Amino acid sequence: MSLSRYIAALMFRRSRLRMSLTAMAISVAITLVCLLITMPVALEHILSEAASMDRISIHHQAGLVYSLPRSFVRKVRAVDGVDAAIGTVWFGGVVDENRGVPFPSFAVEAEHVSAVYPDYGIAPEHQAAFEANRNGALVGQRTLDQFGWKLGDRVTLSSTVWPVHLELQIVGLIPRKNSPEVWVNLDYLDLALQEATGEGVGEVGIIWARVADPSAVSEAIQRVDAMSANSGAETVSETEQAFFKSFFGSLEGIVGIILVVAVLVGLCIVSISLNTASMNVRERTGEIATLKAIGFPTPRILFLLAAEPFLVSSAAGVIGIAVAYFLSLVVSGLSGSGEVLGPLASFTMTPEIALQGLVLSLAIGLLSGLLPAGMAVKRPAAQVLREVS
Amino acid sequence: MALPIGYSFKSLFLRPVRTATTVGVIAMVVVACSLMLGLISSVKRTLVSTGDPRNLVVMRKGADSDGSSQVSLEAYQAIRFLPGIREASDGTTLVSPELVVQPFLATGEGGRDNVLVRGVERVALRVHDQVVIEDGRMFTPGQGEVVVGRALQGRYRDTEVGDTLEFGRSSWLVVGVMEAGGSAFESEIWADVRELATDARRTLPFSGIRLRAEDGESMSALAARIEGDSRFALAVSSETDYYARQGDAANVLYLLVVGIAVLAGISAGFGAANTMYAAVESRVAEIGTLRSLGFSKGAILVAFEMEALALACLGLGLGVGAAFVLSLVIELLIGGVSLGTGFVTSVVTLSIGPRDFAFAAMLSLAIGVLGGTGPAWRAAGLRPVEALRRSA
Repeated sequence: MSLSRYIAALMFRRSRLRMSLTAMAISVAITLVCLLITMPVALEHILSEAASMDRISIHHQAGLVYSLPRSFVRKVRAVDGVDAAIGTVWFGGVVDENRGVPFPSFAVEAEHVSAVYPDYGIAPEHQAAFEANRNGALVGQRTLDQFGWKLGDRVTLSSTVWPVHLELQIVGLIPRKNSPEVWVNLDYLDLALQEATGEGVGEVGIIWARVADPSAVSEAIQRVDAMSANSGAETVSETEQAFFKSFFGSLEGIVGIILVVAVLVGLCIVSISLNTASMNVRERTGEIATLKAIGFPTPRILFLLAAEPFLVSSAAGVIGIAVAYFLSLVVSGLSGSGEVLGPLASFTMTPEIALQGLVLSLAIGLLSGLLPAGMAVKRPAAQVLREVS
Repeated sequence: MALPIGYSFKSLFLRPVRTATTVGVIAMVVVACSLMLGLISSVKRTLVSTGDPRNLVVMRKGADSDGSSQVSLEAYQAIRFLPGIREASDGTTLVSPELVVQPFLATGEGGRDNVLVRGVERVALRVHDQVVIEDGRMFTPGQGEVVVGRALQGRYRDTEVGDTLEFGRSSWLVVGVMEAGGSAFESEIWADVRELATDARRTLPFSGIRLRAEDGESMSALAARIEGDSRFALAVSSETDYYARQGDAANVLYLLVVGIAVLAGISAGFGAANTMYAAVESRVAEIGTLRSLGFSKGAILVAFEMEALALACLGLGLGVGAAFVLSLVIELLIGGVSLGTGFVTSVVTLSIGPRDFAFAAMLSLAIGVLGGTGPAWRAAGLRPVEALRRSA
């Protein structure tokens, strides 16, 4: 046993340069693969966790920019299985008119917020204040942090789609970590519009409804759509998850490309480490035959040969994962890419991704260890020794 | 005296499997980076070619795109008579009031996308003079007719001339196909602006105004005058700038891809270095012989550096070839790559440009240098006598 440990140690020390080059190639590539798969994973994460399965989106079948009669919200509330519903209108508010739209803002029916979004955890006193103050606004945690606003602050939002400026007071918080949204009171927008143009809002964009019983969701969807049939404003209803999936559908092309690249990079690592391992084995052809000749069992030799690539690859994998984790912190801290890549830009390394990176590097280590070694030990010792000498 | 170049090349083929693996790795990196860069530069090319430097875009202040902007009828009436706007020979003022809506369109595969429908008047064809009706004719206002961009035809149902296309609250008759030099207009549908406003039930009729200025001077004068009018809160930018801003998305992606390519290149560079070190190790005797024959250190250095570069060039050639074939296959299979940010889907023809290939070439040369310098240095540093002794 001590002999085999001794031989293994020798093998390790032999080509340190080659070993470290391979290790670096593998760890850089593992870093890359880990960072790449954070992107589609973030998208999946948003779809499966942030978007709820028991909230449904009801919008005009023609598209998201087509509106529905406001009276339709009341009809939705009366549908069997629907517990709460809220009408929303895109407000497109800007803080600075020269800077563009910095966050999604909607005018909503204030009194229904908590009933439709219980999972958002809005404090009851914030909900009450939002209902009580026509000029109140509920602001997401991320926007609050970004602008340095706090509860009680007064802000003015100009709409890019309605000819109004609303003077608002922040009366409540949407306490979800990455919530960018700003909700204002639909009645306030209605009033401001009537003053500006003589006409109120009249119609709503998307209606969100909550179905308490998860098993009744698909029936509720069918009932809502059946109710709208032949009404002049036919709706398409779907779960919040399905809605976000199609909304972010445009990112699927990018995700596809990213996955293809990740696979290509993975193949690169496999080739690089196989190449190195076969170089090692080829150089040790004589040694392997000698070990066989003096009576080492084949599995032991296999183990000796495979140990190095396996250890190198797993160590490189761990380093790569650590670097990827560090880089993900740096990259996600940079702003600017968020708008374009949307949820893809979060670059959050989950334990699952680290695990996948580790499994990949272990698999590569096993493959590149066993494959060339397996081929080498098969050859008869006598023949090899004759060739070598 | 220098070693013949053939020496470096022939040496590569002494270990065909090892050479092939390394070439394969470099080729994969080249394929990945040129395809991604090609896609992004196609998006940018599409957008840049859409803007006309002589045109101005008028939108609601603060709006990011004309899809999220509103301009009132009064503003349009005030703007159309401003001095400095070009007049065509027949006296038409080149001002195009436009309404953009994004309805769902059914894809051939049964999905749905938000597609940009632009409501226009006939004058739009003269303000956007790169748009040509390639097939059929322009729509007649008030008749429920539309013309579709040719890039949409591969992806969406019912987009041939004579088809009835369903979007918004109505059915529309396709009467023509637009060709616009590969620009973003080819991913749009154009309809009569008033019909579209009725269909979308817009209280404010327009989302933006496009106009052709007389010359550069009147362009800035017009912009100042429109932005200065406190009644309307409008913002003006040149059409070129407007589409360049829409392409900002592509710039972020570009940086991302360059980052990925550089990382993958470093990894491949380590792989190439390994191969080259092994090549040096296995040829110690040869190097010793060459040195004792009188070839200088420099000659050996150059020969091994050349070998690494040849490795990189083979990888580059293979990779470029594969990327080119792949882009053709993608073109044949899906016709175009659809990309969208939130509200608009545009169909982009994937073509890998010379700049993308140039980047790939630089990357693979860098891989060659990264992988070749260390080993070449070691080879050149071998002392002839020792090298001969070690091999014996």
